[in-house]
Amino acid sequence: MNITILNGDMSATESDFSAYIERLTGKLREKHQVKLFPLNQMNIQHCSGCWNCWWKTPGKCQTNDDAESVLRSVINADFVIFASPLMAGFISSRLKRMTDRFVALLHPYIEMRNGESHHIKRYPHYPDFGVILDKEADTDEEDLEIVRDIYDRFALNFHAEQKYFKCIDNSKVEEVVNETCHY
Amino acid sequence: MKLAIINGSPRRKKSNSSILTDHFLRGYYQACTDEVPVHYLASQKRKGEGMWLFEQAETVIIIFPLYTDSMPGMVKEFFEEISKPGVILPQRIGFIVQSGFPEAIHSVFVERYLAKLVKRLKREYLGTVIKGGVEGIQIMPPGMTRKLFSRFEELGRYFAEHGTYSPAVVQALRKPYTLSVTRRFLFNLFKLTGLTNFYWNTHLKKNGAWQHRFDRPLEMAIAESR
Repeated sequence: MNITILNGDMSATESDFSAYIERLTGKLREKHQVKLFPLNQMNIQHCSGCWNCWWKTPGKCQTNDDAESVLRSVINADFVIFASPLMAGFISSRLKRMTDRFVALLHPYIEMRNGESHHIKRYPHYPDFGVILDKEADTDEEDLEIVRDIYDRFALNFHAEQKYFKCIDNSKVEEVVNETCHY
Repeated sequence: MKLAIINGSPRRKKSNSSILTDHFLRGYYQACTDEVPVHYLASQKRKGEGMWLFEQAETVIIIFPLYTDSMPGMVKEFFEEISKPGVILPQRIGFIVQSGFPEAIHSVFVERYLAKLVKRLKREYLGTVIKGGVEGIQIMPPGMTRKLFSRFEELGRYFAEHGTYSPAVVQALRKPYTLSVTRRFLFNLFKLTGLTNFYWNTHLKKNGAWQHRFDRPLEMAIAESR
């Protein structure tokens, strides 16, 4: 299985969260092809909202940075893991900045799905995904529910399913490995 | 400074958020003469201005387009900045979220986050105005945008007079929450004629990209992806 992991950790030094993601990556690599992208160490620019990836060079963002390698890995993966410590109650801006660039993976045309308008597929297959977070000191159940629900919406627009939603304080690496391999 | 507006659209002054802000302010200035500074988070030249405005204003409205089901990355960066200890915060914070999708349902999930963010900051939450169907307003004939723009003017005028969003206008802008059966049927009918893709097709053809509209440039052969 091809697995792509996007780590949105923005810590200046090696954090417990990134150490967790490294351990997870190592374990998954025992049986699978895994690509880990430490987004904070990469040149990922903001989506400029130009829509060139939709109407000038369809499917291809014209910003010259590292995002294309991430997008290529994501769309060709069997499973994607979005990993981030929570910051101000949501995923890091680093991971959000990368996720914004996912528009290039979709088609601008709209269709009706589940009674709502959504973008049609550009690619035949979109990978299901899991979400791994680290809580802040004041994170409560409401915060987690908000993030989980937004990822469920993202799944709907991304033609995929959110398979799990975990926090590192109560999810052992082995448990995440088992669940990831199950899909 | 009573009110400041922070625009979180990457398109800055060319954004739909900017157009809606202009109409909001047109209404605002009918009832109040206080100048309302507008800062664009995407502005590279004035990077610190957003934080400065945030610390100076009594009330701040943050307007942004819905990006992959929540706020654009640069707006999230700003939220992280204002959540740091020691930042002076305005008394009241409100939001305007606009999206290309016609239904409000797409934006109500990030609305929950915005309400929680302000609660976290221990400030007064003014609410979130949600408006769908905004993509394309720059090329629509005046007759198609008249009601939208007049509602934003009304929103601004009410805000200047009462310091809050008008519940009636907020409710009107939020419609449709989801598309009615009739509207969905009409969409599917128009889809057959290609009318639903008119906006995108116009740009694709103008850019000579029509033939490539279904390209999959990042697709790799199975062996290559290993």
